[in-house]
Amino acid sequence: MKQNYDFDIGKIKNLSQEEKVSRQKNLDLFYEYGFPSKQVEDWKFTDLNLILNKNFDNISNEVNFESSKEFKAIENFEHNFIFLTNGKIISTNFGHEEKSKILIEDYNQEEVKNIDPSNTLALLNSALSFGGFSLEIAKGYKFKKPLIVYNCFSQDLKNKILNNKNSIKLNEGSELTLIDYSDNNTQNNFIKNTVDTIFLNKNAVLKNVLIQNSKSNGHFYKYIKGSLEGDSNYENYILSSGLKLNKIEIEINLNKDNSSCSIYSALNLLEDQHQEIKTRINHNSPNCKSYQKIKNVLNDKSKGIYQGKIFVEKIAQKTDAYQLSKALIVSDNAEFDAKPELEIYADDVRCSHGSTSGSIDSDAVHYLMTRGISKKESVKLLINGFLNEVLEKITHNELKIFLEKILEKQINGH
Amino acid sequence: MLKITNLKATINEKLILKGLDLDIKPGEVHAIMGPNGSGKSTLANVLSGKNGYEIEGEISFNGMNLNDLKIEERAQKGIFLAFQYPLEIPGVNTNIFLKTSLNSVRKARGEKELDTLTFLKLIKEKAKELNIDEKFLSRQLNVGFSGGEKKKNEILQMKLLEPKLSILDETDSGLDIDALRIVADGVNSYKNKENAFLIITHYQRLLDYIKPDFIHVLSAGKIVKTGNADLGEQLEKTGYANLS
Repeated sequence: MKQNYDFDIGKIKNLSQEEKVSRQKNLDLFYEYGFPSKQVEDWKFTDLNLILNKNFDNISNEVNFESSKEFKAIENFEHNFIFLTNGKIISTNFGHEEKSKILIEDYNQEEVKNIDPSNTLALLNSALSFGGFSLEIAKGYKFKKPLIVYNCFSQDLKNKILNNKNSIKLNEGSELTLIDYSDNNTQNNFIKNTVDTIFLNKNAVLKNVLIQNSKSNGHFYKYIKGSLEGDSNYENYILSSGLKLNKIEIEINLNKDNSSCSIYSALNLLEDQHQEIKTRINHNSPNCKSYQKIKNVLNDKSKGIYQGKIFVEKIAQKTDAYQLSKALIVSDNAEFDAKPELEIYADDVRCSHGSTSGSIDSDAVHYLMTRGISKKESVKLLINGFLNEVLEKITHNELKIFLEKILEKQINGH
Repeated sequence: MLKITNLKATINEKLILKGLDLDIKPGEVHAIMGPNGSGKSTLANVLSGKNGYEIEGEISFNGMNLNDLKIEERAQKGIFLAFQYPLEIPGVNTNIFLKTSLNSVRKARGEKELDTLTFLKLIKEKAKELNIDEKFLSRQLNVGFSGGEKKKNEILQMKLLEPKLSILDETDSGLDIDALRIVADGVNSYKNKENAFLIITHYQRLLDYIKPDFIHVLSAGKIVKTGNADLGEQLEKTGYANLS
C-alpha cells in the first residue's frame, strides 16, 4: 500500500520564491523514492516505509508552532537551556555564562540546501525544514554549566511530521556539554526528522548527550554530521530508550590530525520498541582516534540494531579506531542485529571491532536472589550494571550522577 | 530451627543425597565434613533453593516447609548461604548490591528500609570489623577480588543480613591463615543463642577457630557418623576411608 502523504511547502511560512523552488526540487526528488524500505542497504534492518504504513493513516507537515510556552525544567542540576516546542525556539537561558560569547538564533532557513540525494529523509528534511537553532560559541570560551536543549512537543501532532535542522559550531578551544533532552508524553504517533550539523574547530571539545525522558509513540530519525579540526574532541552519549522508533545516524569526519571522537550508547528496549544506531567514522587525517561502545538490552518484542562503519583514508596513518557492541537479550522474542564494517586504505593503523550478544547470567541471578532480592530486582540490577558501564569514563561527577538517574529511570521503563 | 527428614536430592537423573537427616537448634554450630563428591555442596545448594534439583523428603525451617519458599524468601526468612565460589558480577556496584539486599530483607521483615547515608555508616562499621578496605565497597561486586576478599565479603553480607541460620560452604578454602582468623572472628562475634550455623568443610582447620557442637560425616549422600568436636581431630588423623 502506498503511503498517503500530504506534504505541502505552501504550509511553511515566510519563504522567498527562490527558497520555495529549491525546496520543491527536494520534495519532488523525495517523492521519486519515498521513505526508505529494507531494499535500501542502509535501512535493511529498519524498514521505515513498512513501519510508517503500519502506524500512520496519512502524514502531514502542517504543524502549529504557536503552542505552550511552559515547560518543567530539570531540578537540582544547574544548567543553561534552549527550550524548543516542535523544534522551534521558544526561549533560551544562558544565566551561568558570559552571554557575549554565545550566539544563539533560529536556524537560517536560507542556508537549507540539499544535503545528500542518497538519503531520502535528508531530502525531505531539506524540503520541509522549519524551526531549529544555530548555536555558536566564541573562541576559547568554556561553558561553566551544561546546556540542555529541551525538546517539547504540542499535543496535536497526530500523523504529523516535524523537520528541523540545527547547527552547532564551537570555535577554537571552546568547550560545551550539550544535552539534547526530549520529553513528550503524548500517545500520538508522530515523526521527527532532524539533521544536526556540528563543527568543532581546533582544540574544541563537545560532549553531546541524547536523552529521551519519557515513553513515547514518537518515530524519530536524527542525522548528526560532525566535522572535526585538529586536536578537537567529540563525545556522544546515547540514552534514548523509550521511543517507539528511533534511528540515529552519526557521521563523524576526523578531518585534521589528532582529532578524536567517541560514541557510547546504553539502551534498554521494551515492548515493541525499535532502535537503530548507525555510525560512520571517517578517518580523513593521520593520528586520529575513534572509540565506540554500544550496549543494548532487549526485552519483550523489542529490536535493536547497530551498524557501525570505520572508514580510513589512505592518508590517515596511525589511525586508532575501536568499536564494540554488546547486547543482552532478555526475551526470546527480542532481536538484535549488528553489522560492523571496516574499510581501510592506510597500512599503518590499529582498528578493532567486536560484537557479542548473550542472555542474562542465571547463576548471577541466583546469587542475588540468595541475598533476599527478588528475581525481577535481580535482573534489573544486572541490566543496570551492564548498561551503567558506558558512563564510567565521565569524569564530571554531577553529570555522571544525572545520567545514572536517567538510565535508572529508563531501566524501570520510565 | 532446621529439621531435615529423609532428604533425597537428584540432579540430572543422578541421586546425590540419599536420605539425609539433620536437626539444628538455635544456638548450635554444626559441621558437616566429608570427602569430595559426598554431597556437601548439594546440601548447601538445596537449602538455598537452587534450581535444577528434584527434592524428596522434608525440610522444615522454623515451622515452615522450606520447599514452598522461593529463593529470595528463604533469605528474607533468615537463611544465609556463604558460597564456596562467590560470583563475580561485573557492572554491579558492591555498595548498591548490599543496600538492595539489606533493604529487600528489611522490607520483607516489616522493618523500615535504610536511606543511603544510614546504610553507608552501617556498612563501613561492619567492613571495619572484618578488616575490609572501604575501597572494595565501591568496586564491582567481587570483580578482581582475591579469594580471601571474596570470602570476607560473604561474611560481611552475613553480618549485614543477620540471618538465623548461616550455612558456610567451604568458607575456609582459599583463605590464608590471617584471613581465616578474621573470618572465624566474624562468625564467632555473630554467634549467639538465637542463631545457628551449618559449616561445610573438608578440613579440621576452620573448626580450630569456630568450635562446633556437633560434627557430622557425610558420605555417599548420607550422614554416616555424628560426634562432638573431637570427631574432627580424629578424622584429621584417620581420614574418611576408614568410616562407613
